[in-house]
Amino acid sequence: MTPDKSDVLYGTLGLLVIKTLEALGPLHGYRIARRIEQISGDQLTLNQGTLYPALLKLEQLGWIASKWGKSESGRRVRIYSLTRAGRKQLQREEADWQRAASIVERFLKISEGAS
Amino acid sequence: MTGLRIVPSRLWALLRPRQWDRDIDDEIAAHLAEATDEYVRQGLSLEDATAAARRSFGGVTQTKEVCRQVSSFMWLEDLARDLSYALRALRHSPAFVVAAAATLALAISTNTAMFSALDAVLLRPLPYRSPEQLAMVWTEDPTQNVREGRSALWDVEQWRSQSQSFADMATFDAVSTTLTGTEGAEQIVGASISPNLFSLLGIQPVQGRSFSTEEAEQRQRLVLISHRFWQARFGGSNDAIGATLELDGLPFQIIGVLPVGFQIAKLDADVWKPHTASEDRDSARSVRGGDTWFVVGRLRPAVTVAQAQVEMSAIARRLNDQLPAAERNRGISIVPLSVHMVGTESRLALWMLGGAVFLVLLIAAANVGSLSLARSVSRAREMAVRSALGASAGRIVRQLVTESILLALVSGLTGALLGVAGIRLIRTFGPGNLPRLTEMSLDLRVLGWTLAISLLAGILVGAAPAVATVRRSPSRYREEGGRSVSGGASARRIRRTLVVTEFALAIVLLVGAGLLVRSWWSVNNVDPGFRPERVLVMELSSPTNLSVPAQRIDLYHRTLEQIDAVPGVEDAGIIGDLFIANNREQSLTVERNDGAVSERMRLRRDEVSPDFFKAMGTPLLRGRFFSIGDGLDAPPVAIINDAMARQVWPGQDPVGKRLQLGPRDSNRPWYTVVGVVADMRRQGPEREPVPQMFESMAQSPPRSVDIVVRTSSPDPLMLAAALRTAVRRAEKNAPIYGIAPLEQQLGTYLAQRRFETSLLSGFSVVALLMAAVGIYGLMQFSIATRTREIGLRMAIGAQAGDIFRMIIGEGLALSLTGVALGLLGAWSLGRAGSSLVFGVTTSDPLTFTAVSLLLTAVATAACVFPARRATRVDPVVALRMT
Repeated sequence: MTPDKSDVLYGTLGLLVIKTLEALGPLHGYRIARRIEQISGDQLTLNQGTLYPALLKLEQLGWIASKWGKSESGRRVRIYSLTRAGRKQLQREEADWQRAASIVERFLKISEGAS
Repeated sequence: MTGLRIVPSRLWALLRPRQWDRDIDDEIAAHLAEATDEYVRQGLSLEDATAAARRSFGGVTQTKEVCRQVSSFMWLEDLARDLSYALRALRHSPAFVVAAAATLALAISTNTAMFSALDAVLLRPLPYRSPEQLAMVWTEDPTQNVREGRSALWDVEQWRSQSQSFADMATFDAVSTTLTGTEGAEQIVGASISPNLFSLLGIQPVQGRSFSTEEAEQRQRLVLISHRFWQARFGGSNDAIGATLELDGLPFQIIGVLPVGFQIAKLDADVWKPHTASEDRDSARSVRGGDTWFVVGRLRPAVTVAQAQVEMSAIARRLNDQLPAAERNRGISIVPLSVHMVGTESRLALWMLGGAVFLVLLIAAANVGSLSLARSVSRAREMAVRSALGASAGRIVRQLVTESILLALVSGLTGALLGVAGIRLIRTFGPGNLPRLTEMSLDLRVLGWTLAISLLAGILVGAAPAVATVRRSPSRYREEGGRSVSGGASARRIRRTLVVTEFALAIVLLVGAGLLVRSWWSVNNVDPGFRPERVLVMELSSPTNLSVPAQRIDLYHRTLEQIDAVPGVEDAGIIGDLFIANNREQSLTVERNDGAVSERMRLRRDEVSPDFFKAMGTPLLRGRFFSIGDGLDAPPVAIINDAMARQVWPGQDPVGKRLQLGPRDSNRPWYTVVGVVADMRRQGPEREPVPQMFESMAQSPPRSVDIVVRTSSPDPLMLAAALRTAVRRAEKNAPIYGIAPLEQQLGTYLAQRRFETSLLSGFSVVALLMAAVGIYGLMQFSIATRTREIGLRMAIGAQAGDIFRMIIGEGLALSLTGVALGLLGAWSLGRAGSSLVFGVTTSDPLTFTAVSLLLTAVATAACVFPARRATRVDPVVALRMT
């Protein structure tokens, strides 16, 4: 998919989602949302609804898969899990993020030194 | 390949919007419920918890809307972008587009035309009510190797009354009919049918009505006419109903007109009359005698052919017990009407041709795929850039597939237009023995098939560059430093595979064509037992008022005298019916050296004039021909053919022996054998000659005869007018018709073989050319991308000859691999097609060798040019190319 501007937000969210699924295994939508909120120490207040378009898109990309199942409380929910392609993508994105972060960090250091 | 997985989920959203909506609703509801539960656990009231859950979720409707956009819009948007990009890309390489589209269009058009033929002849249901319930019912005699014999009326009536499987049965037969009118006598094809035939088939006359059983039993002279006859004679006017036709000298009233193109089994007649309308039919009713009727039955609903067969076999056994010993051993065989219409051999031939054009399509797709692979390698930089800009591999693959499908659709459109021409060709030149071939057209079904194969071709063409692209990741492109576009090592591997496949498929086609050509050659070199060149055949009916044999003998005698007097005529003879359509079996009592024996055998009997064999050029093996003396007052004499001599008097001299038709105790006359002639293949060159017995025409003159005239002219038709005049001088009321050179009449037996042979040969030539172009393109490409390597080799001392040999060797290795695989395929397919060849086996070593040599030679020739180019590589220039 060619990323455009709105994709950037989804892209970040997407990384959080697949990382969550990698860490915890298959989850349904509400659990994913809660987990992201908890990990970020509730600094990231997620509009939980925005999670669903992101999930849909990740599924279209083939990085996650979904099937209907039961939640812990017995409700019929869609359960998402990471695919092999998703796992690879996660490795790529993690690397990219770290590289990007280190570049930004270096920039920040340069500007500190210049001041 | 993630791109491919997206399609189904989006298609799902597109095709089942309601289900998709419900799923989203369910999921959001479950989310809210889970959230509410958690807030309740934290101590909020249910009401507050519900509100809190909604708050943290955000807009439900908005979420759904965004979801819908994600799932459908992007797909359409991407498609539009892919299409416009594909158009742009194709516009930039017009040479590629023209070459690829022409190749594909050629293959698609042949497939369209062939499918149209298959559809018209085999796939479309027969034009009757519930045609799958219709079946031909045959009398069989296993002891005589008769599987599909006609049946006596007596039998049919027993079957109709006893059978539970059949709702009804009807009988029909062709009768040669003389139509007399103001313009003189004319011979037309008539049908004699039982009155229930039309209702059994579910056919309504388009004008007027059909006759009833009562009318038939009262022997009323009523007749239905074909649509064609109606148009030709009455200009399609309503006045036809009620008009009178004079058939065989008797007045018949027209009561109805049949639908356009109506025919039953292979009978396509102009006048259809009740079978009671002719005399001497009643006599056949009492005994199981002259077997002359075709029988068609309608199975009851839900009764299978196999069940009907079981029941009818039981009935046959019961009936046998009621009959005298000589009449026993009869069985009944049931053949679905559709199978009867197009025999298993024609079916096989059509499927074979259909398969052949499909192979041509695969070869074309491989060829174009290979071309577009070469193109994709030269576009590697472009792809790498796109990929670096963030296009996923799936996206690029989709881009390539869109391009090739667009290409294939353009080719499909062209192919459909060309297909119309192909359909017209087949309709005009197709063999007459395939029913409904004239009905083929470019209808929706055919167009659907064209679309389907175009898409298939598009996917096949796009697959090769797509696979190559996925294997060639952008990082590798970067590592290769951009210049090494040649790096398409995987592309070259795929192209090699494609070329090998092309060769293998081409070999299969060539072997098939080779075997058919060899068969054609053997068929045309079979000794038919006569010399057909310079011979003219025509038919003559004696006028109906000549009921006494002596009158007819006199007529034929005078006619031959007049013909003999025509300049350019060498010999003229008469036979009852020159070509054999059906052999009746016969009881026969023969005298052998050790006494008389009775037996039943399949035997063809004809009456011939003294000079018949001379006119045909059939050699006499023993004894003598008939003479003027073998007349009504002389003892009955017979001439037999070699096949009958071998079967009835093995190892004995038949001349002087006597034989009697019928069982031993019958009081029918004894014939004395006076001569033995060579076997004549009168059922077409491919059929083994059957035992034949000839009687003297002067002892039993038939009502209508074939006249055989050997002329001294290489174009015997030049004499047609003179012969017509001569016959009219002898008897002006005797209609003469169907004048044609014997060679041309024999040609109709070979029409289907000619059709198959020429089509398959044409297809295989196309395949051969495509394979040649394929290997040529590959070698050009391979040399272009290996210029540096070749330069290096030359720099370190390789001679031009070494380079030349290296390139040719490479081409040979590929083509030989393809040839080996193809031969294996042809050999294993051959066994299925063994009934299509004549005079060769399907593993004929000569054909296999010749075809392999041909293909290898063509492949080598195709490599010569690229190889020569390789030898001209200048090492200095090549090595600087970095």
